[in-house]
Formats: sequence, structure tokens, C-alpha cells
Amino acid sequence: MAVIDDLTGELSRLPGIGRKTALRLTYYLLKRPPEEIQRLARVLEAVAEQVRPCSECGNLSEHDPCAFCANPRRDPSAICVVEEAADIGAIERTGQYHGRYHVLGGRLSPLEGINPEDLNIAALLRRLGNGSVVREVIVATNPSVEGEATALYLQKLIGPLGVRVTRLARGLPVGGDLEYADGVTIAEALAGRREL
Amino acid sequence: MGLISLDSVILQSFAYSETSKILRLLTRTHGVRSVIAKGALRPRSRYGGILEPFTDGVATLHLKEGRDLQTLSGFELRRSRQGLGRHLVRFGGASLLGELVLRTASEEAHPELFDAFRRGLDALDRAADAELESAVLAEAWHLIGHLGFAPALDACLACGRAVEPEEATTFDHAAGGIRCPECAPSAPGRPLPPHAREALVRLGRRERVPLERTAAHWQLLRRFLAHHVIEGRELRSLAFLEAALTAA
Repeated sequence: MAVIDDLTGELSRLPGIGRKTALRLTYYLLKRPPEEIQRLARVLEAVAEQVRPCSECGNLSEHDPCAFCANPRRDPSAICVVEEAADIGAIERTGQYHGRYHVLGGRLSPLEGINPEDLNIAALLRRLGNGSVVREVIVATNPSVEGEATALYLQKLIGPLGVRVTRLARGLPVGGDLEYADGVTIAEALAGRREL
Repeated sequence: MGLISLDSVILQSFAYSETSKILRLLTRTHGVRSVIAKGALRPRSRYGGILEPFTDGVATLHLKEGRDLQTLSGFELRRSRQGLGRHLVRFGGASLLGELVLRTASEEAHPELFDAFRRGLDALDRAADAELESAVLAEAWHLIGHLGFAPALDACLACGRAVEPEEATTFDHAAGGIRCPECAPSAPGRPLPPHAREALVRLGRRERVPLERTAAHWQLLRRFLAHHVIEGRELRSLAFLEAALTAA
């Protein structure tokens, strides 16, 4: 049972997975053909060995620089700053942005002990240093209190460098219903209203 | 106990699993509680964007005593304090107040603490930039008083004699108060001139005070907290706040 317990223990360390779910996943895996489990193990090993943060932008990739930094067709004059590498996918799915990215690795949270030096900010400033072609930094941190504070912190650092700093707009979701929107979202939408 | 509604302020909020959030709430009648807001991260969640730190509202939850994590079934917004995130000193100050509560408060009801915390957040939200540093110190000392750790500033810790306003004293961090000039030489402590002592007394009453040596005030607060409130550990938000004040 030790190996089964080990697997259950490892799975239960994953976010959102408790002991019961881990046990269920373990027994699911044990019912699958051995080659399927071995394939999963190989993929996990490959991920652990090959995926690293891109030295340029911090995106997780098996290549360094990552596909976004290495792609000459991506607009080098714009950098979109996101909290986590997973956020890049959300922006890519829009098909509307063709610049480059920078992954902070989190957001400022004094309560959790996450201070500026814990984020990938020094690398961002290096990208904006002498000879940089970057003209705009789009801060796409989450629309939370901590995301706002992070955006403000970046604006204070980057603004004096002469680079345009913009922030993703906040407001009502497309296809949503005003009647069911919460007060904070409506207040933000009102504050960010624009001329028709 | 079944479904109950509690006056609450969100102290902390973080993602849990793909769609839920875990909140730490300071409530008026049930102290600090942890709740799970299921589905809060879904794009069309009924909670929308309101489950954020420092937000004030009425939390409805299924309270089961003995459980560490309760289930949130509704949150009626009273006051959003999103603006605190748009100013680094206000954000750092609010985080400091929140961390003080998180580190020290229990599940027991403490309505005075709840009101003091709420007033403190409002004060930081509204304070003019020029008096913001004084406001943060005042709200922090006031909250420390409500948590039961107020420093003794009126009488000497050693002999108990009431100290006159013009008398120079020393402040003993470990003992948590002042010593008169006669008792000071025989005990540890740092000089606390009359004007600094007066400032400290007024800050504890939530008064805005023109501060001369702010660095000394922060040092005193840091040392006092380390001895009495957080037992040698560092308050995470204090370092952030001090950096934000320096940058401002």
C-alpha cells in the first residue's frame, strides 16, 4: 500500500485536491492500462526537466527565449505584464494582441509577505533600459485590490522612463445583464465610461 | 447553528481550486472566521468583484461550530474600499491593520475591535496625503489598544508615579511603557522626550499629529509590536508600508 499511499499523498498536495479526491484519482489511474500511466509519468518528468522560466520575460517554456520573445513577428514595442504565465493564454485567445509579454510571478500582497523584490520586476526594468524599443507597457494584473496596487507600483517605476503605461479597462462583462452586476463592477464601469 | 448574517469586513481573499475563493472575515459578533465562497471566480459569479480585501458587507453563511472553514452563501456589499489599492501608502496601511487583526484576533466576538478596524480603513481611505502617515500610525496604535496591548504612557512602570507632561522619560519596549527619570537609569529603555510621548498619547486617541521624526515613530512601533503583539516575528506588511512611505 505504500506506493498507493505515496501517490495519494502527492496528488493531495495539488491545489484544490483533498485527500478524498486524491484517493479517487489514484484508483482511477490504477484502473487505466499501464502504458497510459507510464505516458503520464514521462510527461511529468519531461515537464520537470525541460520547462523553465524564460530568461527574458519569465514565461514558462521549454525553450529559452520562449516562443513569444523569439518570434520576430511579435511587436517588440509593446509589453503586456501579467501576474502568472497562465494569464498569457487568456490574452492570446482574444487574438487582439500581438506584442510581447512579461510574467511577474504574482502580485503585491503585504499580508502574504509578497513584496516588490519577490516579483519579476527587475527583469522588466532591464527590458526597458537603454536602447529599448518598448513604447508601451500594458499592465494586465487582475482587477483586484492587490492587482491595482501592483499596477500602480509598476506605473510609478516605469512612468519616469518615458514609456507609456496603460491598464486593462474594467467594467461590465460582454453579454452580461446590468441588473445582476455587482455594485463594485457597476461603479468601476461608471468611473471608466467613455464618449460614444 | 443554521444560516446567519454577520456584519463583516474581508481581511484576506485568495483563490482556491479553479473557481472558489477562501476569505478571512472579521465579523462583529463571531470574531475572525474563514469561509469558502464557492464559484466566486466564475466569470458570471453572483459575487462579481466584491470579495476583495477591505470590503465591508453582510456575509450570510452556514455556521457550523467546530469547523475551521464555513461556507459562504451570500455577501451583501456595504462599502467597497477598492480605492485603497490605488495608493501604495493607503494600501500598505490597510494591510498593516488587517495583519494586526489576522495575527491576534480569535473567533470570539469583539465588536469594539470590529468598529475600530472599520473606522481605521475609512480613515486611511479618506485621509489627505499630507496627514496620511500620521493617520496610519494613529489607526495602528488605536487598534493595538483595542487588541489589549496599549502601551503605558501616563505613569512610570517601575514606581507607578504619574509622569508630568514636561518630564523626559524612557520607553521600555519589552515592559511596554515608560519609566520616570528616577527609575530610568536602572532599567533598559530608549529616551522618549516629552513631545514624542505626547504625540504617542494623541496617536493612540486617533488624533492626527504633526510628526517630526517619523522614522523614530516607526522604529518604536516595530519594536513594540515585535515584543507584545507578534512575539519576535516580523509583520510582513510593515516592511512594504515603510518602503511605500519612503518612495512617497
